[in-house]
Amino acid sequence: MRGRRRDLWWTVRVAGFLTVFAFLVYPLATVLATSFSGEGKHFVLAANYERFFTHRYYYSSVINSLYLSALATLGALALGTSLAFAVTRYALPGKAFLRTAANLALLSPPFIGAYSWVVLFGRMGLVNRLLSAFDWSLPTIYGWRGILLVFTVQYFPFVFLLVSAALRSVDQSIEDAALSLGSPPRRALTTAILPILAPSLTAGGLLVFMGTMADFGTPMIIGEGLRTLPTLMYGEFMNELGGNPAMASTLGSLLILVNTAALLAQRYYAFRKAYNVVCIQPLRAKRTSRGRLLALTVFAYAVVGTALIPAVTIIISSFMPTRGPVMYAGFSLQSYEAIFFRVPRAIANTFGLTALSVVMDVFLGVLVAYLLARRRSRVHAVLDSLIMLAYAIPGTVVGVGLIVVYNRPPIILTGTWMILLASYFIRHLPYPVRSCTAMLQQIDVRVEEASVSLGVPPFRTFVKVTIPLMFPAIISGAALAWMTTIGELSSSILLYSGPWATMSVAIFTEVFGNHFGTASALASILIVAAFVPLFLTYRVLGERAALGV
Amino acid sequence: MTRVRVQGIVKRFGDTAAIDGISLDVRPGELFTLVGPSGCGKTTLLRIIAGLLEQEVGSVLFNEDRVDEVPPYLRNIGVVFQSYAIFPHLTVAGNIAYGLKARHLPADEIAAKVAEAGRLVQLDALLDRMPSQLSGGQQQRVVLARALVIEPQLLLMDEPLSNLDAKLRVQIRSLIRAVQRTLQITTIYVTHDQEEALAISDTIAVMDRGRVLQVGKPWELYLTPGSRFVADFIGTMNVFHGHLEAPEAAAGWHQMVTSFGQRWQVRATGASDGQLSVGVRPESLALERGANSDDAWNPLTGTVVEAAYLRAIVRYQVRVAEGLTVTADIHNPDFGAIRAVGDPVTLWFSANRAVLLPDRPGGA
Repeated sequence: MRGRRRDLWWTVRVAGFLTVFAFLVYPLATVLATSFSGEGKHFVLAANYERFFTHRYYYSSVINSLYLSALATLGALALGTSLAFAVTRYALPGKAFLRTAANLALLSPPFIGAYSWVVLFGRMGLVNRLLSAFDWSLPTIYGWRGILLVFTVQYFPFVFLLVSAALRSVDQSIEDAALSLGSPPRRALTTAILPILAPSLTAGGLLVFMGTMADFGTPMIIGEGLRTLPTLMYGEFMNELGGNPAMASTLGSLLILVNTAALLAQRYYAFRKAYNVVCIQPLRAKRTSRGRLLALTVFAYAVVGTALIPAVTIIISSFMPTRGPVMYAGFSLQSYEAIFFRVPRAIANTFGLTALSVVMDVFLGVLVAYLLARRRSRVHAVLDSLIMLAYAIPGTVVGVGLIVVYNRPPIILTGTWMILLASYFIRHLPYPVRSCTAMLQQIDVRVEEASVSLGVPPFRTFVKVTIPLMFPAIISGAALAWMTTIGELSSSILLYSGPWATMSVAIFTEVFGNHFGTASALASILIVAAFVPLFLTYRVLGERAALGV
Repeated sequence: MTRVRVQGIVKRFGDTAAIDGISLDVRPGELFTLVGPSGCGKTTLLRIIAGLLEQEVGSVLFNEDRVDEVPPYLRNIGVVFQSYAIFPHLTVAGNIAYGLKARHLPADEIAAKVAEAGRLVQLDALLDRMPSQLSGGQQQRVVLARALVIEPQLLLMDEPLSNLDAKLRVQIRSLIRAVQRTLQITTIYVTHDQEEALAISDTIAVMDRGRVLQVGKPWELYLTPGSRFVADFIGTMNVFHGHLEAPEAAAGWHQMVTSFGQRWQVRATGASDGQLSVGVRPESLALERGANSDDAWNPLTGTVVEAAYLRAIVRYQVRVAEGLTVTADIHNPDFGAIRAVGDPVTLWFSANRAVLLPDRPGGA
C-alpha cells in the first residue's frame, strides 16, 4: 500500500552488495578463474592443478599447511579448554588477571609473536647468547617446531575466550542433575557439560584452524624456508623472475577450498548441536585438594605467562641497544630514533589507513546489521553469508585478487593507498556487522515502534533510539576491527607499494633486513596502539561486551 | 474523542490469514477490548490500527478519515506495548518527554506536561530515575504516561499487564481505567485474560482464528454467549447435548432429553433436526430446587468426584454420566452445603438460566 520499496534501506542493501561484489566476490572469482588459465597453445583446463599435485615442491606446501594447522588446532583446543576449565571451575588466585592476560595475548599479531620467539631463542637470540657463555645451546626454534609453538601460543586464547563464555552460561543444575542421576564427576563432565560446550569448542577450533591456515607472517619469519600455502602463494606471485599469477591463484583457490570447507563443516555441526541453555545459576567453583589447586595454579600461570612472553619481550627489547640482530643489555632509545630515519611514513600510513577503514566498517556495518537483523529476507541472508565469507578468506588471497582485478582499466587501484584500504575495509567488515546484529537481536523491536508511534519517523528513530542502544556493540565492533586491522600483514605485504608501506610491512622488512631494534620499536608501538582502544572499551563496557562474547 | 472503524480487514502471513475479514465500530471515548486465545490475531489487528503493519484488504477510519495511507508517526496514537518498550537510555522524564520533543513543543511546556503526566500516573517522585532502577509496575506507568502525554486521539494497549504479578495487575488495571475515564480517550485494549477483559471494558470483542465471534457488553457475553467458543472462553460453562421431544403447549417450554437420558424443560428451539446444546454456568447450579414456582427447575444427579472449599464458594466436580463431569459453585456454603467426595448429589438449575448454544462441530 504505502510505497516503501526505495527507502534508505534499499540503498543500504545495494551498497552492501556492491561493496561485497567489488572487493570480495569479484576478486575471488577472478582468482578462481585465473587458477584455470594457462599459457601456451595447448589449453588444458586444470593444468595448474596437475602441475601442483605432481610436483613435490608445490604439493608439500598443502601437506605442511594441513599438518601444522591440524596440530596447532589440537594444541590450542587442549590448552584453551584446560585453562578455561581451570579458571572457571576452580578457585584460582588472580582469576581476573588470568582472564585479562589471556585477552592481551590476542593483541600482538602472530608474526610479531614469531619474531619475539626469534629474539629470545633464535641463533642470535638473547637466551642462546646467554647460554653460549656456558657452552650450552638449545634445539633450534626455526622450522616446523617454531611455527607450531607460535601457532599454539598465539591462537589458544580464542578457544579460551569462547569456552569460558560458554562455561559461564551452563547452569549448575545441569551438573547437579547428572550427578544426582548417578554419574560420577568425570562422567558428568563428558556426558552433560562437554556436549553443551561442543558448539563453542568447534567454533574455537575453527578460528584456530582458519587463522593458522591463512597465517603468512609466522612461517615466513620462523619457518626458515618451510613452505606453507600462503608463503608459497606469496612467493609464486612476487617472484623476482616475474611471478606466476596462475600458480599463485591455484594455491589461493586451494586455500579458499580448505577454509570454506572447514567453515561449512563447523556451521553444519554447530547448527545440529546448538542447545538453548537457560542459565540462572552459573557453575560453582569446585572444591579440591590444596595440592591439586597448586598444580592448577602453576599450570594456569605458566600458560598465560607463555602467552605474554612475546609482548613483554618485544617491549623490553625495543629499549635495548642493538646492532643488527644482536641486542645488548642496557637502556637506549636508539631504536625509536631509528624509526624516523628508516621508516618515517609507516606509522602515519598505518594509523591513517586503519582509522579510515574502521570508520568505514562501522558506518556500513551498523547499517547493514540493521538490515540483516530487522528486515529479514533471503536476499539479506545471502548478503550476510557473503560478508562473513571475508572471515574465511586468507588475506593473501584477497590481496592477489584485488591486485589482479584492479591493475587494469577501468579502475586502477594497484599501487595506491586505496587498494590497501579496500582490503582492510572488506576483511574487517564482519566485526561490526556481527557485534551489531547480535546486539540488535537483544533490542526489543517494540522500542523502535514505540518511538515511531510517538511521532518520530523511522530514520530519526534509528538515530535517536536504535543507535544509542547499539552503542556498546558499535564500540566493541570498532575496537575489534581496529585491533585486527592495525597489525594486518598478509594482504598489506602484497598490496603496498613505494611510500605506502605500513608498520606491519616495515616490521617484516626490518626483521628480514636484520634490523631487530627498529622491528621491536615498531612492534611495541603496534601492540600499544592495538591495546589502547580495547582497554578503553573494557573500562567503559566491561569485559564481556568488549570482546563481543 | 475519536470513533474508530475497522472495515473488512484481511492480513495474511504466508498462507495463513492472521486477520480473516474483521469489521468493528469503536464508540468515541469507550474502552474497547479485543480478547481471545494467543494467535487469534488480536495483536495483529492492534498493530494494523497503529499503522505498524499494513493490511492487505480493508480500511481503518478515525472519525470520518481513512488512515490507511497515514504512516504510524503521523497517526497521533499512544501505544502501550506488552514488553513496555521503555527507552532504556532515557530517564523517566526523558521517556515521557520523547513524543513532545518530536512535536517541537517549547521546553517549558514540555516540562509542565511531563510533570502533569507524572502526577497522573503517580510517578512524580521518580522523574530523574533511569528505567533500570524501576520495578515492572513503575515501568508500566512510565510507558502509560509516555503514551498519554502526547494527547493522542486513540490509545492502544497490547497486553499491558501480562508481565506484572497478580496484585500489581489489579492496581494498574484500576489506574488505567481511572485515567482513561478522566481523559475520555478512546482506547483499544488487547488481552488474552477474559477476567481482565470483563473487569476493564465497556465493550468486548471475542476473537478466534482471525475472526470476531461476538461483540457486546461484558455481561452480554457472559449471560448470552452466541457460540460454544464464547461460552467456554468467557468463564466456565457446563455444556449438555440432547434432542428435543414434541413441544409442550405451556408458555413456550420444550421437553429435552439429554445424551445421558435426563428429561429437562428448556426455552426456545434447537436446531431444525431437533438436536441442541444447553449451557449452564457453575453458579447457576444449586443443591436445592428453587422456591419460585413460575420457573421450571431441572435436576441433575451424579457423584461428587472433587470438592474444593474456597471460602465464599465450594466448587464441586460432579460426575453425572460416563465421561461427563460438571462444575458446580455453591455460594456462601454452611455446614449443610458440604458434600464429600463419593457422595451422591442432586443439582438443580432454573431453566431460565440455561443458555441455548448453537451446536456446530468444532465448537465455534
